Amino acid sequence: MTQILGRIVATERRPNTPHEFHFWTALDSPVGIGTVVRVDGRDPVNGVVPHVYGIVTEGFSWTDLASPLHDVMGHDSDPANDPAHQTSRSEIRLYTAAVLRHVPEEPLQPVPMGTVFLADETDVTIALRMDGYLKEGSNTGIPVGVYRAGGTDSPIYLDADFLLGPEAAHLNITGVSGLATKTSAVEWILQSIFAHFPDRHGSVAAVCFNVKGPDLCFLDLPGEIDDADRALYAQCGVPAEPFPDVQYFAPYKSDGVSLNTLRSNEALLENVTVLTWGLREVLQYAEVLLNKDDIDAKADALIDFIKENVLDKRFTDPMLERPHTVTSFADLDAWFKEVLRALEKKDDQSWRTHHVATIRKVRNRLSNISLRCKGLVADDGATSDLPFGSFQDRTVYVIDVAGLEEDAQDLVFARVVTKLREHLEKRDLGVQHVVVFVDELNKYAPGDGPDTYVRKMLLDIAERGRYLGLVLFAAQQFRSQVHRRVVGNSGTALFGRMDGDELATPGYAVLSPAIRTKLATLEKGQLMVRHPHFTQPIFVRFPRPAVMRGRDGVSQYPAAQAPSLLSAVLRTLRQADPALTLGWLQDVTALATDEEILRARNDVVRTRPTDVRKVFSAHFRKSVAPRTASRPDAPAPLPVAPFDDPYGF
Amino acid sequence: MHSSVSGTLNLRALQRRLASLFPEARTAAGESTLELAAVSNDAPRLISATVLEGQTLTAHRITDPPVAGFRAFLDGTQRSEVVNYLGSIAVVLGHVSAVVRERRERRMCTWRDPVIETRIYAPRALLPSVTWSTLAAEYGDLLVDTTDGEKEILAHPFALRDLAFHRVQAHREVVEQRLAERWCDEESAALFIDGGISGSATVSVSDITVGVVKSHRTLYAEGDALDTVLGLGHRERSSVFRITSPRRTTVASWYLRLRDPVAHDPMWGLIRAEVALPSSVRQGDIAARADEVSRWILAEVSPLALPDSRWDKMVYGVRDCEEFLRAIR
Repeated sequence: MTQILGRIVATERRPNTPHEFHFWTALDSPVGIGTVVRVDGRDPVNGVVPHVYGIVTEGFSWTDLASPLHDVMGHDSDPANDPAHQTSRSEIRLYTAAVLRHVPEEPLQPVPMGTVFLADETDVTIALRMDGYLKEGSNTGIPVGVYRAGGTDSPIYLDADFLLGPEAAHLNITGVSGLATKTSAVEWILQSIFAHFPDRHGSVAAVCFNVKGPDLCFLDLPGEIDDADRALYAQCGVPAEPFPDVQYFAPYKSDGVSLNTLRSNEALLENVTVLTWGLREVLQYAEVLLNKDDIDAKADALIDFIKENVLDKRFTDPMLERPHTVTSFADLDAWFKEVLRALEKKDDQSWRTHHVATIRKVRNRLSNISLRCKGLVADDGATSDLPFGSFQDRTVYVIDVAGLEEDAQDLVFARVVTKLREHLEKRDLGVQHVVVFVDELNKYAPGDGPDTYVRKMLLDIAERGRYLGLVLFAAQQFRSQVHRRVVGNSGTALFGRMDGDELATPGYAVLSPAIRTKLATLEKGQLMVRHPHFTQPIFVRFPRPAVMRGRDGVSQYPAAQAPSLLSAVLRTLRQADPALTLGWLQDVTALATDEEILRARNDVVRTRPTDVRKVFSAHFRKSVAPRTASRPDAPAPLPVAPFDDPYGF
Repeated sequence: MHSSVSGTLNLRALQRRLASLFPEARTAAGESTLELAAVSNDAPRLISATVLEGQTLTAHRITDPPVAGFRAFLDGTQRSEVVNYLGSIAVVLGHVSAVVRERRERRMCTWRDPVIETRIYAPRALLPSVTWSTLAAEYGDLLVDTTDGEKEILAHPFALRDLAFHRVQAHREVVEQRLAERWCDEESAALFIDGGISGSATVSVSDITVGVVKSHRTLYAEGDALDTVLGLGHRERSSVFRITSPRRTTVASWYLRLRDPVAHDPMWGLIRAEVALPSSVRQGDIAARADEVSRWILAEVSPLALPDSRWDKMVYGVRDCEEFLRAIR
């Protein structure tokens, strides 16, 4: 039997309730804020001795001093005057604990008088109701970390049904930046999910948006972890290894040549795929890039007209000189030009009910997109996308948008998530569950500010995603500034070290001052976890992710220098045909402009032909072999006019 | 029967029981305890004592620093209250308790078990014999006759209450002495006893017990000696003198000023220490013993025993005993 840790006390001023109780301990007891304890009731109820499990939320200490003045007097008003007390004053350690569980659950009574014990591993399992989903036949536990207190080391499990759906879903992480909490925690939990997600629940993949720096750029490379981390991995049954299957996607930089990612080192490009979208992909999400001032009802109508009647179709109109098939921004611009020219010619103010000013405005805004999202959006309609439809189980898809403008980031986010949702609805994504990790949720789903497309979409995922298997793992520094419906729909919430100002916001009022103080001083690798099964938050430790940290990756694999156009094109083409050489490429493109070369590359990327050489070469004029010019036959002599008749022939 | 009765001897239970035994009895309600009601009616006294250290009683400064010498502290408490009136005769319930609190690693903890006893006090001589018999049959040894051995019995209710009060006081001394004697039997370290030690033949001759008296209704000095005692400065003691009493063991004693008396009354911080009288009273030995014990006592002046009103004379260990007994009462 474990040693008695404390005794329950209750006074009129500080009574016990069904949800809270008080106990005192010896001065040297290992109890601290967040410690889980078990109370064994003194008297049976209905023939059963009640057990109550609780978590320490507040601590108090005082002595028998009636007034601080008495201590001043005891020291003769001089703090430095230590009278060498032979006796220490009587002192109490009194703790307040929040009830985690009553066993039996009924009748629900105030916590009875009794003795308090430190919870052992079994107690922790019962207290957090993990016994319900760790039992044989269920086994839906996903380790989130290890609870440690007073010698008890107990893995804490989340319920997969409440983390990835369908019962509840989503995970939200809050913590200050720079303490390796948010990103590390997500990496660790993804590792844990991949290791423990039950096979019978189907397959699971993750799509991570890398929105800053190199945080997620080296998930497939091993990182430095120590023995303590390995022990945590072992306790949680998660292999201390990097992710075996990671696919990276990054757009080009504005030069259209070099990849816009910090994972551009030659040695790491094997699993990096360029992310390029054309007009069709962009126009679907035009409202992401066009704000409300841009899209009034008239502009919206014109955009719809273009989507329905112009895009990817042979478009003819009596007013236009020729038919148009618009598949790229360049085609679209040509179409706009001709429509406007024709209107000017006719001196007309409207065409097919669209006013010329609206047409000019929409042209201006849409054309602008390819400039604002240069590198991501190809003028010529080339598309290289995520493998929607063939997602692989236990694979991480990282989309590096860190180098993109904010608009372009929004576009990537909106389109990828929408495509994921569409495919999940049709059950043809390739996996049954997708975790979408979004950092900086403050920015994408703020509590105030304009109602953007991205925010609406995040709200939609938060509220309906669990039925589809679309799960949002989101992180932010200030939870209080995120839309309430997004965080409110997160079944599981993790908290790392918190900022004092953030903790002072009303959302944290439910936490005791001691818990808030602990949150403000949490070490790296510690989290407070809220989960539907846990009636109170619990503190856990988690290991450093066994993946290379961003800054280590950048120093070990520095980003490649900006390559020459031909080098970059060759690198892309070699993904389809490794036998291609630079010499061949130079010969083929000898007379071509940069735009022509890029257009040819994009065509190969879009069409993925079996014969890359043939398709690529077909874009260029053939260079003609040099030959010596031969003297032509002498022309017939011009007739000479008679000397005396200048007009005679 | 009686032991189980003792276990339920609280005021309300006793009132109910007496009411059933004696329907005519009047229940006392809302009366304060006899301790609160009792005003010391011992007349202040000055007694000349035989000085053992030198010829006259003088002041001696304790020059060496205080040093921890006590291992434990002993104190007792009492509480007595009127339960019922049988006619005009008060039946009193008295609780006494005593504890030794041992100091371990600067923390106080209880040595052995505290003693807690309860008795019922009534004047047999003034009660009808049938009433006494009924009470005796019900409570046996727990029933104490407050008139036992008294030559003159005044039927004044206050006088009867005083009789009961003094019996309770005597009982308290007994349980304190019992604990002190047990300490002397089992331990070899010094015990600080709140009060005198001369009441017990065992304790009063032990060289590990020191009695410390805080009340000074009786001062063992007259004339110049009294001036010396009342004029003691901070950390000064008087010469050692002998205290002899017909029913008590002779002990050695001296006054000691624990705190600076400036701007206070002459009794401020003044205590009287009692130790066993050495078998051979040699000047040097008795002075050295008084100095040593005085340093022990001075070492106990902090932490302060506040908020107890007697904190100028009370050491923290004794306050701890009282708090403990209050907590378990």
